[in-house]
Amino acid sequence: MFGRMIRGTLLRQWKKMLMIAFTIALGASLASAMLSVMLDVEDKVNQELKTYGANITVVPKSASVLNDIYEVEGGETTGAYLREDELGKIKTIFWAFNIVDYAPFVNVKGTLEDGTDVSVVGSWFNHHMELPTGEELDAGIASLRSWWEIESGEWLDEQSNENAQIAMIGTSLAQKLGVSVGDTLHIKGSASDGDFHITGIFDAGGDEDDQIFVPLNTAQALANLDGCIDSIEVSALTTPENELAIKVAQDPSSVTVSQYELWYCTAYASSICYQIQEVITDSVASPVRQVADSEGAILEKTKLLMILITILSLIGAALGICNLVTASVMERSSEIGLMKAIGAQNGAISGLVLTEIFITAIFGGVIGFFAGFGFAQIIGQTVFNSAITLKPMVIPIVSILVVLVTLAGSIPAIRMLLRLRPAEVLHGGR
Amino acid sequence: MKKRQMYLRMITASLMRRRSRMLVALLSIAIGATILSGLVTIYYDVPRQMGAQFRNYGANMIFTASDEEMSLDDVHQSANMIPSDDLIGMTPYRYENIRIRERPIVVAGTDMESIKLTSPYWRIQGDYPATSEQILIGANVAESFRLKVGDMLTVSYTPEGAVATDEETVLDNMIDFEITGILDTGGSEEDYVYVSLEDLETLTENKGSIDVAELSVQANSDELAGYADKINDSGLPVLAKLVKRVTASETTVLSKLQALVLLVTVVVLALTMICVATTMTAVVAERRKEIGLRKAIGASDSSIIKEFIGESMLLGGLGGIFGSVLGFIFAQQVSIHVFSSSITFQPLLIPITILVSVLVTGLSSLMPIRSATEVDPALVLKGE
Amino acid sequence: MSLLELRNIYKIYGELHALDDVSLKVEKGEWVSIMGPSGSGKSTMMNIIGCMDKPSKGEVLLDGVDISKESSRNLTTIRRDKIGLIFQQFHLVNYLTAVENVMLAQYYHSIPDEKEALEALDRVGLADRAKHLPSQLSGGEQQRVCVARALINYPEIILADEPTGNLDEANEEIVVDLFHKLHNEGTTLIVVTHDPEVAEVAQRTLVLRSGRLAKEIVNKNFTGKIHFDEGDAFRKEEIHE
Repeated sequence: MFGRMIRGTLLRQWKKMLMIAFTIALGASLASAMLSVMLDVEDKVNQELKTYGANITVVPKSASVLNDIYEVEGGETTGAYLREDELGKIKTIFWAFNIVDYAPFVNVKGTLEDGTDVSVVGSWFNHHMELPTGEELDAGIASLRSWWEIESGEWLDEQSNENAQIAMIGTSLAQKLGVSVGDTLHIKGSASDGDFHITGIFDAGGDEDDQIFVPLNTAQALANLDGCIDSIEVSALTTPENELAIKVAQDPSSVTVSQYELWYCTAYASSICYQIQEVITDSVASPVRQVADSEGAILEKTKLLMILITILSLIGAALGICNLVTASVMERSSEIGLMKAIGAQNGAISGLVLTEIFITAIFGGVIGFFAGFGFAQIIGQTVFNSAITLKPMVIPIVSILVVLVTLAGSIPAIRMLLRLRPAEVLHGGR
Repeated sequence: MKKRQMYLRMITASLMRRRSRMLVALLSIAIGATILSGLVTIYYDVPRQMGAQFRNYGANMIFTASDEEMSLDDVHQSANMIPSDDLIGMTPYRYENIRIRERPIVVAGTDMESIKLTSPYWRIQGDYPATSEQILIGANVAESFRLKVGDMLTVSYTPEGAVATDEETVLDNMIDFEITGILDTGGSEEDYVYVSLEDLETLTENKGSIDVAELSVQANSDELAGYADKINDSGLPVLAKLVKRVTASETTVLSKLQALVLLVTVVVLALTMICVATTMTAVVAERRKEIGLRKAIGASDSSIIKEFIGESMLLGGLGGIFGSVLGFIFAQQVSIHVFSSSITFQPLLIPITILVSVLVTGLSSLMPIRSATEVDPALVLKGE
Repeated sequence: MSLLELRNIYKIYGELHALDDVSLKVEKGEWVSIMGPSGSGKSTMMNIIGCMDKPSKGEVLLDGVDISKESSRNLTTIRRDKIGLIFQQFHLVNYLTAVENVMLAQYYHSIPDEKEALEALDRVGLADRAKHLPSQLSGGEQQRVCVARALINYPEIILADEPTGNLDEANEEIVVDLFHKLHNEGTTLIVVTHDPEVAEVAQRTLVLRSGRLAKEIVNKNFTGKIHFDEGDAFRKEEIHE
């Protein structure tokens, strides 16, 4: 009989029930959309912040102390290099997945035909890597220097021009030399020389505007530095640093083993640096404070902002649902009065009304959840051009929210109606 | 008694005497209005607040000497062309080669206070120099000379044109500095030492010229380019350039963030408004019988619509007032918690919020009221 | 000319003939009861007289004007100007006080006048309850407010649908007394009821059965409250049609 009554209500009062379901669906979709976006916003903004370039630099151990100091005296090389064959190892560290991009650099001096000295930088442009994990990655400055403006020509494509003598040249140097795309530059290095075909002129808005960029191996050949690199720039997704990270970075021995493990297993810039040092022989990896710290600040603010907006919309959704459920229960005063009049116990009435509302709520909640996930995708695609990943924890949060809110909306109303005397309800003329 | 008085009396009676029901509706409208005014305030303030966060990346404009030498006055004059509200900080740098324990090192004379503004990411172990004869040294320098905070460091400078005699060191100007801090940036700054411009003047015995000045300006890249053009056209020996890495990336990320907040605002608002609309529908649907009764005692459809719409608009207005106040408080709290600064008050938003909530509640009750007036009074009054 | 005249009224819902060729005249100042068991067509007739429904066929003349073809908009105006309604369920607006409920009728009719409304309440003996909400009034009091509301605009006809259906005997008496008072003041009263005690006090009682006017009983001794025995004290009149 219970089932029959519920079925009766749901079928005969489907319009009202549909409205409750609709409101619950709205609330649930709002909640799940906001939660999905909030939980994913850190990753998404982190990706966006990669346009600021590398946040970790790796240099040879001795160079980190002596490099610039001796360069002032005119010494060109310090003799300390990183090994090119170890580059792949960066993608094997504990936080390999967080390494978005990286590129090696080698600086050599070149002389042009007219005797001008130029700085030639060898690097990866869009170096294709097949990782032991089966992953494929195109790494290099084409993505690490996203702020470069290509004034003419195009990005050097090293994949389709293997071992070709090609170069990109900075805008100020190009102006000084009066060269343009398609021209050929003869560069003489300390070991060999070659004719370089200019594929593009870039405006970097900095010192790089006076440099020539060539593929790594051709630069190495110029100075007979096969297999040697000066530095590596790494772009990694990092977690904003906290007290612990700073403490460990300053003195690893000052923390307990478990704190150390926590640090090692968190994607702090400092722990990623530490892990890179473990795989690259004689290297010093340090976070680029300008990028790493700012990223941290912005990520934290964005996340906090989204959390507060989410809380506001959750409260809004909760009160909205609560409201309508209360209103719709109140509307049934005469029905409840009648049930009491024919002898139904309070428990039975509450049970009936609650069951009906819950069936409706589950229906609305499920639809709302999917709709909300859809909204989240729209936001993700529009803003970040990528899908928002579904975090499993959204499901329990939304379900608990729907259940709590439905209960909070219906119980006070039911209690109020149960207090009414049946005669009043039936004859009150309301 | 005038008709209008009775009209107002009815509406207020409905609101006052059906308090609990109306509070429910009012609450939902107020929430809607809160979300509207709160999110829109945040949306408008995000570029400003977030822009300030992006200034963590440091200088986005630099001055270099154009042809002739650039004096500190030139730099200040140029910086003054940028509205002072937008200019967060300007740090001049003068580089000289000095020697520490006979090893050549680059020293930068600068303004320690403004460094904190233009390079907020600098991490100092110890403190910035506060008085003269104090020095900040890069981490690499500290490591190679095994120096620590509190040590004394003698810096020597060979004046230009000084001829090395037999006792060459005597010709050097020397100052003893106290090391107040060690600098960690992860960049080439770690190889330099930093003193105040005045100390560097004393050391070199000349006023010298500024090599470069870093500016942190809160503006989008178009505005920045405008400022740079203005300075370059001013005839001062200053060449203003944008730090493309910072400006280009800031524009990209900031526009995404604003788009994010906009979209979130739109979605939340749309859903909230539908919520308000369903609540109003429920509120009106509840009163079908009353509408039937009014029709039976001779009310025309239009006067019933007028009364109910008036009632919901009054409700909407009240909700809008509460909402705009609550929304501002919410936005203020968000701003204080997230950005540790107070929000810009948008006075226009109050009338807009009230207007929108009046319109939304009015319109959302119009449909159910219309359908309720179509009801046959006889049927409503008979059927219990 | 009669105040109200129904000419060959039919109301047909599909197969069901709720009213089947009913004709009737009510003169100005008359007090008429309409009786009949459930489903006899009382309510349908009441709705048609009360301008809340239209007949499927036939003419309804109110003050000599045929209202059977009027739009529902015009019917509302006619109802507002000419008819005062009293319901079994009272139907007061529950958030308005007694006097405000009376003023509501004035408001839709012309201009609300609190003094006049209070006078109306005084006539039904509720002057001291004017500021009470319906929920603070007893059933009888609520019904008296309805009576006050019905007569406030000086309607041509007061149409009462089971006015005593929800009242106890004491209150029933008060309401019937009120009807007497109204009748003496010249108000035309049409009372739909299935309570013989209420019906018998009218000047004329029409009995409906299965949508047809079964008989018409005239109360010859109509003066006030009298004992009533069907068939004896009343003369059977010729039934129209």
